[in-house]
Amino acid sequence: MLLTPNAMSRRMRFGLYATTGLIGLFLLLPIVFIVLLSFGSSQWLVFPPPGWTLKWYGQFFSNPEWMSAAAASLKVAVLTTICAVALGLPTAFALVRGRFPGREMLYGLFTLPMIVPLVIIAVAVYALFLKLGYTGTMFAFVVSHVIVALPFTIISIINSLKLFDQSIEDAAVICGASRLQAVFKVTFPAIRPGMVAGALFAFLVSWDEVVLSVMMASPTLQTLPVKMWTTLRQDLTPVIAVASTLLIGLSVLVMVIAAAVRRRNEISA
Amino acid sequence: MKMAAPAAPAVSAAGSAVAQHVPSLKQRWRGAGNLAPALLFLGLFFLAPLIGLLLRGVLEPVPGIGNYEQLFANSAYARVLLNTFSVAGLVTVFSLLLGFPLAWAITLVPRGWGRWILNIVLLSMWTSLLARTYSWLVLLQASGVINKALMAMGIIDQPLEMVHNLTGVVIGMSYIMIPFIVLPLQATMQAIDPMILQAGSICGASPWTNFFRVFLPLCRPGLASGGLMVFVMSLGYYVTPALLGGAQNMMLPEFIIQQVQSFLNWGLASAGAALLIAITLVLFYFYLKLQPESPVGASNAR
Repeated sequence: MLLTPNAMSRRMRFGLYATTGLIGLFLLLPIVFIVLLSFGSSQWLVFPPPGWTLKWYGQFFSNPEWMSAAAASLKVAVLTTICAVALGLPTAFALVRGRFPGREMLYGLFTLPMIVPLVIIAVAVYALFLKLGYTGTMFAFVVSHVIVALPFTIISIINSLKLFDQSIEDAAVICGASRLQAVFKVTFPAIRPGMVAGALFAFLVSWDEVVLSVMMASPTLQTLPVKMWTTLRQDLTPVIAVASTLLIGLSVLVMVIAAAVRRRNEISA
Repeated sequence: MKMAAPAAPAVSAAGSAVAQHVPSLKQRWRGAGNLAPALLFLGLFFLAPLIGLLLRGVLEPVPGIGNYEQLFANSAYARVLLNTFSVAGLVTVFSLLLGFPLAWAITLVPRGWGRWILNIVLLSMWTSLLARTYSWLVLLQASGVINKALMAMGIIDQPLEMVHNLTGVVIGMSYIMIPFIVLPLQATMQAIDPMILQAGSICGASPWTNFFRVFLPLCRPGLASGGLMVFVMSLGYYVTPALLGGAQNMMLPEFIIQQVQSFLNWGLASAGAALLIAITLVLFYFYLKLQPESPVGASNAR
């Protein structure tokens, strides 16, 4: 409690709680609104809708363009997650356990893609792939997404690796395990929360990525956000609300999984 | 900068820990090989293209600083720069105003409630940016819910124009930035000792004096780092301004993409990109100065 009851007038507290409620609603408003709208029957997105329908879901799931975009999104996100963890894991080990100079600077370098505006990364990578003739390929999508997902993975793994006492791993080595065995059987299970969190972050970053994907996309290969983006520029059809609901739904699912993993670890710890 | 002071001891502590324990060269570099895959990846696909892009600004179409001269001399381009800063500034102010009560309430209400508010903040942070922007586009349009509600209440007679202009961009972006204010600010507020405020009131401060003279100054590190972060992020946003803004309110990121995609003018795009990176990195340097310690800094005192 910050301003204790006797230090804070009743009017002040009431004012604060009322404002908080309103701002909380403001945060939820667009999310709830779009989900409701995807079930509304009005073509013109009238709210409240005159009736409720699954028509737009039908249109979404029967349209091969939307379906292939959704499939591409999922594929890119899964590949990005795998690559980001595979690259992030050794990096985190080196940064946490290494004694070599310049680790601060290297950490800065690895987190740089979080700081450099996405637009600039997108244009730079686009220029490269344009020269190599790779635009519109799965490779281009995954590489560009891994660049921005990697910092999230590295940071998550570093955080849990710093909490892990290396002498436990050393103990396994003394008891006869090889260093590699010790890392795989002792350290990895211990830092699993960080690895899972890093993987989930990477998945979410890729799943939701618009700017990079718009630059990498071709008419034949596009992700769900790209398809939404190009459709949005023509009209505001409720099918976009369906796609939005699916994007939101998967993000919420991933968040719930992350919370469940965290809770299980709190209990077992 | 006064707030930079706490950073100094952490750095020197880490420095002295290194000095105390002087390993052999081989020992020192052990494990550094693990960096290779990620370094190679980032070097090839991130640093090299970035440097390549920045070089184009001084090499294309002719070597020299012509692109930079154009960027500042042409009044239409100068307007883009002005616009970028004013939008980022407005967004920072509004998200601070909206984020402050939320962060404060999280620290004040019983823990269960606080956790719920925090969950709402995280939910909004991690749900699709594009979905939320689309939602605002529908909410704010002339025939949208907000205009209809305001008209039904008799507050306005004509629908307000809230999209494809500055209002739309500021509403949409402030909304998106609130979580980035709430999270650091909430951490700062949580760390303030309530006894200090009690002391203030015992010494005769009225609740308002206590708030403005004691509480608010103590929140300053959180406000400064949150605000700075939001300002930097706002400078580089593309999706929301492109969808909610009009042609009049073009910002630097949109300008860069337009130069590349519509005019194939890589030189000018690169000059714009260099400017955006320079501003971002300078501001981010100040942001780091506000942070108490680096995540890998103090870890070698094992």
